[in-house]
Amino acid sequence: RKFPPPSSFPRVRSPSAMAADPNHKKVVVNFQSVANAPKLRQSKFKIGGNEKFARVIEFLRRQIHQDTVFLYVNSAFSPNPDELISDLYSNFGIDGQLVVNYASSMAWG
Amino acid sequence: MAAAAPWDKEAAAWSEEAARLVWGGAVPLQVHLHDADVTALPPPPPFLTLGPRIGYFPLLVSTIKAHFSSSLPPGVDTVWFEYKGLPLKWYIPIGVLFDLLCADPERPWNLTVHFRGYPADILSPCEGEDSVKWNYNNSLKEAAFIITGNSKNVMNMSQADQLAMWESVRKGDLDSYMNISTKLKLGPFEEDFLVRTSSLEPRQGSDEPESPGSVKPCRVPVRLYVRRVQQDLEYLEDAIPVSDWESVSYINRPFEIRKEGGRSYIALEHALETLLPEFFSSKPAARAADPEPAATTPDSEPKDSDTSPSTHHDEKPPPASPQETDVAKKTKLKLVRVQGIELDMDIPFLWVANNLKNPERFLHVCVYVSA
Repeated sequence: RKFPPPSSFPRVRSPSAMAADPNHKKVVVNFQSVANAPKLRQSKFKIGGNEKFARVIEFLRRQIHQDTVFLYVNSAFSPNPDELISDLYSNFGIDGQLVVNYASSMAWG
Repeated sequence: MAAAAPWDKEAAAWSEEAARLVWGGAVPLQVHLHDADVTALPPPPPFLTLGPRIGYFPLLVSTIKAHFSSSLPPGVDTVWFEYKGLPLKWYIPIGVLFDLLCADPERPWNLTVHFRGYPADILSPCEGEDSVKWNYNNSLKEAAFIITGNSKNVMNMSQADQLAMWESVRKGDLDSYMNISTKLKLGPFEEDFLVRTSSLEPRQGSDEPESPGSVKPCRVPVRLYVRRVQQDLEYLEDAIPVSDWESVSYINRPFEIRKEGGRSYIALEHALETLLPEFFSSKPAARAADPEPAATTPDSEPKDSDTSPSTHHDEKPPPASPQETDVAKKTKLKLVRVQGIELDMDIPFLWVANNLKNPERFLHVCVYVSA
């Protein structure tokens, strides 16, 4: 696998700190489990805006120890794995964070 | 309700013709079986087929596999395509891949098909048509979210409609597609910065776009593929092939339609400057900033934003002043291609968005910039 290990994801300390450059600022990803998907002990993580959504998928898989997981932004759609976190945040971010819902089975098609 | 000005008949006819051309567009493909997958002598001849521009490679697999069936090794197939060593991303429409990767359009497009050795480190997993369908539906929901602020129009589609829409895309059946697609009320985009959606009240264009009222500035879903080519590139056929997806920037930035200085239309150049400020060297890197001088002559057009039915297609862009031409020359842009067409920078952006979009409502724009 090409993805770096999840340990390289720093935990959230101050969600307010955002650098000026939209491509490199960190984005707070707020994971919300849907239905019976395992919950995370901590739901918010910071990730570099220049990372791709694939990294979020891989990270979550490792966190919940499941290979099959369906991720959605704003309980609506699943972005493709190559979309940049910074794009997703500026297009769909709410209240300073990117809400990612995840389910063990297809939740919203 | 004057703003609900009829998308007049002529414009509708034009749009339909454009859609037919987009849907009818295809790339002639010459598919070669990868050497390592050949288990028969002599090796099979390449397979010639047409790849629909709005289609996806995994949808061609069954016919291609049938052609090569007698030469394939036994076992489970994991099919992928490659062009000059680059594995092709299956979720990108065929026409976009062609426009992006073939600087000088190569016809037929010579590709290699592999039935083994899926490059899982480069391509996301693909389970054939199901994956493509999933990707299509989710892209459609994403586009709807950009346009209306949620995905309800798509999520509330009946199961039957959703299936029928996918079938229409898979088969390239525009008529069936239109029957369902118009129900979604996701457009067309109009020049008074509104979009016809079920969730927005059509209103006169006199509101401030920033006002917290019911009229939101409308956003056009755009996926940009930025490819770097040599600074001194003179002939497209000399462009160094893309050897790595990391050298292509995949950028998803919606274009926000704002009313700026009474502008009656937005030129493609202005839209690109706003979307990709980093590639317009003469501009400070600020997105969606103040009106740019390069796009229009403010207020000099007889047509204002709140007039008359939209006739996007037949508007003549105002002549560029010498200063404007100057600004354009400073860009690092070499080429802009949408649906195989090298677009003129003066073309109205909304015409492009309304007529050259893909079925999932995204406008895919290939941009060549000098590195």
